[in-house]
Amino acid sequence: MRNVATGIGLLGILLLLVGSYVGLFVAPPERHMGDVQRIMYVHVPTAWIGLLCSTFAMIFAVAYLWTGRNRWDDRLVGALEISVILGGLLLVQGMLWGRVTWGVWWTWDVRLTTSLIMFLLFAGVLALRSFVEEPLRRATWSSVATIIAYVDVPLVYFCVRWFRSLHQMPSSPETVHSSMIIPLRINAFAMLFIAIWLIAWRARIESKSRGAERPPERIEIKGALNG
Amino acid sequence: MAEGPAGVIIGGWPYVITAYSITAVALALNIARLAARERKADREKESDSND
Amino acid sequence: MSTFQQALFVARKDLLLGWRARTRTLAVALFGMVTLVLFSFAVAADGEVGVSAAAGFLIVALLLSSILSLEESFRLETEDRALEGLLLLPVDPVAIFYGKAIANFVLLVLLGPVLLPLTAIFFSLELDGANLLSLALLWVLAAAGIAAPGTLYASMTSRVTGRDVVLPLLLFPLTLPILMAGVRSFDLILRGDAMSQLKGWTLLLAAFDLVYWVLCGALFSRTLEE
Repeated sequence: MRNVATGIGLLGILLLLVGSYVGLFVAPPERHMGDVQRIMYVHVPTAWIGLLCSTFAMIFAVAYLWTGRNRWDDRLVGALEISVILGGLLLVQGMLWGRVTWGVWWTWDVRLTTSLIMFLLFAGVLALRSFVEEPLRRATWSSVATIIAYVDVPLVYFCVRWFRSLHQMPSSPETVHSSMIIPLRINAFAMLFIAIWLIAWRARIESKSRGAERPPERIEIKGALNG
Repeated sequence: MAEGPAGVIIGGWPYVITAYSITAVALALNIARLAARERKADREKESDSND
Repeated sequence: MSTFQQALFVARKDLLLGWRARTRTLAVALFGMVTLVLFSFAVAADGEVGVSAAAGFLIVALLLSSILSLEESFRLETEDRALEGLLLLPVDPVAIFYGKAIANFVLLVLLGPVLLPLTAIFFSLELDGANLLSLALLWVLAAAGIAAPGTLYASMTSRVTGRDVVLPLLLFPLTLPILMAGVRSFDLILRGDAMSQLKGWTLLLAAFDLVYWVLCGALFSRTLEE
């Protein structure tokens, strides 16, 4: 299993190199944005896979609450971390793009705003984890917080979209020319494979660490609420 | 940002390179971090089973 | 006792305790006032910026005050290990959640008659009867939206070191929709609703409230397990 995951990851890295090469040097420059639009070939895949990983986190959280099996918490940690990393990257890439195309480092358009909130929400779950030492409680609370965070994301998205609907906001390109689809797809798969690899790896590490801890005893309530 | 002929934005390359580089560095750092963490977890398991 | 009755019982208990410690409760209101004053100094309160920002300041003041109020609602439980005592009684955890959430909701609503007039005064806003009613409804919805996730998170963070940091960290990003809906609606109420958007925003707030009152209630008992 471990080797499969690593294999997938290496394939992902390879694809990322290929896709980026195509996106940077082979694909044609965009009509209005020129070369800066090439950021899209890494930005859009980051967005897609970032959202996907947060969905994985949600699924793992539900699975943990449903089954109580530790493996789901291990995977949850992996998914949370990747979501936060990709989320942070998304913001940075977006800011660089925005700097060139809109002239500002930041703007409160729908996507950037939602990305920022999502980043904060999931980083918050990781922060919560760092404050809770008892493994059982940490796992349960992380799952609860993840579900709550995930449910919030579409609400935030719609709110911001509506909030901004009256203003003329610069928009990110929606349609993509066919010759640009290829590097986009390659990098999307690349990011997906890398994400899967890193989640699986992180999960394995977490289960190893868990093995090294004392297994959580069936503690009575009295002791547990010492926190 | 300067505009070239026909309104195309030029001079965006440094930003593109930065974006890709930061992405690559972030992934690399994460991989390094995981590797280090795994080593630590292995060591702890080692010492635990030796107790 | 049905779960519903249990919830009301818990709510009543919490509100009674709040009343008995009313100096503390009033302190939260005072904090809200101070926050508004700070905001008034942050911008020229009666200038154009002030008026347009008033709604935002009001809701943010509510959010900041809510942290104090929520933490307070669980402080007693953790100080004397009273939460365990409550759990030992045959009380449905769901009832505990909704009871505390209702109590927190009421306390937040009560901040309205304090903070709203002050906002109007500090930022030179004009409120008439019809506006007031709409604003009251808005306030109730916003308070509800904060109370549900706030109660859930407060119950968790009250049992954790670093609780003061983690609660706002978790709660604030979550309540962004409330902030946005609140600010937009407030603006529309005060400055006219040319395109009849108010209904939409109100529905959005109501949807948020519904989702979170159900979701948090469902998840609460899981956070008590050990």
